[in-house]
Amino acid sequence: MIVEPVALANFFTVFFSAAMVILTGATYALLFAYSRLRQRPRLMPLAYLAYFGLSVSVYTLAQAANLFNDTFWTFIVGLMLLGYFVAPHGVWHLCVATHDQESVDGHKPHDEGNPSFVRS
Amino acid sequence: MSALGVFSTANLNGGQKLGLKYLIVSLALFGAQILFGLLAGLQFLMPDFLFGVVDFSVNRTLHVNALVVWLLYGFIGGVYFMLEDEAKHPVVGLGLGNLIFWVLTAAVVVVVLVYLLVQVGPGEMSTIWFINEGREYIEAPRWADIGIVVSMLVFFFNVVATFSKGRYTGIAGVLVLDLMALAGLYLAGMTYTPNISMDQFWWWWVIHLWVEATWEVLVGCIMAYMLIETMGVRRKIVETWLYIEVALMFGSGILGLGHHYFWIGTPEYWLTIGGFFSALEPVPLVAMVVHALFDSGVHRMKNSNHPALGWTISQAAGNFFGAGVFGFMHTLPQINLYTHGTQWSASHGHLAFFGAYSTAVIGFFYLAAQKSRGNVWMSGNLPGNGWKWKWGMALLWIGMIGMTMALLIAGYEQSQIERAIEGSTWMGYFAAQGHPWFTQAMNWRQISGYGFLLGYVLLVWDLLTIGKGETRPAEVINSEAH
Repeated sequence: MIVEPVALANFFTVFFSAAMVILTGATYALLFAYSRLRQRPRLMPLAYLAYFGLSVSVYTLAQAANLFNDTFWTFIVGLMLLGYFVAPHGVWHLCVATHDQESVDGHKPHDEGNPSFVRS
Repeated sequence: MSALGVFSTANLNGGQKLGLKYLIVSLALFGAQILFGLLAGLQFLMPDFLFGVVDFSVNRTLHVNALVVWLLYGFIGGVYFMLEDEAKHPVVGLGLGNLIFWVLTAAVVVVVLVYLLVQVGPGEMSTIWFINEGREYIEAPRWADIGIVVSMLVFFFNVVATFSKGRYTGIAGVLVLDLMALAGLYLAGMTYTPNISMDQFWWWWVIHLWVEATWEVLVGCIMAYMLIETMGVRRKIVETWLYIEVALMFGSGILGLGHHYFWIGTPEYWLTIGGFFSALEPVPLVAMVVHALFDSGVHRMKNSNHPALGWTISQAAGNFFGAGVFGFMHTLPQINLYTHGTQWSASHGHLAFFGAYSTAVIGFFYLAAQKSRGNVWMSGNLPGNGWKWKWGMALLWIGMIGMTMALLIAGYEQSQIERAIEGSTWMGYFAAQGHPWFTQAMNWRQISGYGFLLGYVLLVWDLLTIGKGETRPAEVINSEAH
């Protein structure tokens, strides 16, 4: 595995794109969850637009940080893209499952905001 | 129980009385951390200030040690506070727990006095035992280290014995396992070796694994209890998510240790391990945005303690930005080569510690304040619209964000000039320290620090007065919560 240091000219690009990876990742997760929670499918394309922004950020980071110059780091880039994509889906399924269990137990969350009817 | 709105320990059970003592010392040490931080910050601007009286090295030591100890006291206080409620049984060995509180607090005072009274001198085996061990964050001498481990073992005994005799919940199970690690991992920081790489290797076990494993789990347990108490979230859901989050945290957090091993003389494979986990560590944090939104949709933020909930929400946001965004910005080895140990680290450290831990402990302060006054009303319509807690929180956050951004600018400048251009030379260090971007950033850091201090003063004032004279009992959110 090769660690090729970032060029001085790319410092800002690395910092900025790394921050954008997390922020666009959070935006994707937020819009994804909100769209399903409130049953507003029109928001889902925006969620995937945020994920596209995340992909661009990951690519920019990978270029600036010389990650494509090594197989291991290229593999990490792929894993990042996959992880950020599937993790919100996984957590959503867990949320629905845990709240479904609550309904099975004969309890309901205490107000009308109960989204246990939501299915993925 | 005394009247509503009157502060009295008669409102509390035995564990809560002991917990309250820890929380009070925790709040005082939080103030000490701010005080010594401000003094150290001033010495960046005026290097002669208090030189030979309280040197920068001592101020810095006290600043970071106070951080560790006030958070630890806050966590211990939080656990004792919830212990009897959770176990439905009086704390077993409460007398011993009380004795250890006084012994530990006396030891903290002695350690601080020794830091202040013996600031310079030779470094020998005897000084490791009695003066200063020399490892940042855990400078406490060996005798105090042993005392901390013994205290953690007594704390562990109190918790395990109480749960054994009472109700054993999911929170209890996670907590008990975590406390074993809390005491055990501290031992790793007590070995002496003249090899600096080996020393750093074990030192990180305490610093990283305490913070990103045992403390995270402790905060998870405390927050789980707070969510049940203040929002009436059902235990089954809270405990299920506690398990999930602990699993995610262990999956990504433990070997995230690797990014601390990048440049300390450890084998090269740590670059692979550290790089892998650094890249993927934020994924669970980002995914948890889904969970936060889902839960807020379910519960609509109905709660019995507005300040505690406010601080809980800010914990989620602070953890996300401090640990997630500010961590990932400089954690890949390709860039960390330049940022490691600069003010970048300080910027990330300030926001991450405050966001992930301080906020949770402050939230618990408010829960303790509520119970200490007979479980009074702390929902909406607080006197003065709750301006003190709101402004206290706002000033603390504005101050923290100001310090973080100022340190970020200073770190950026250091990583470019000292590291990349000057090649980490001694001259490069001074070139970076004297650069206008650095000195201006240090000025802004100091100004933000004063704002933070003001927020702390408001926080203390509010904690001393909130609920005073209140005649309404706490809003009942969910009677089935337990």
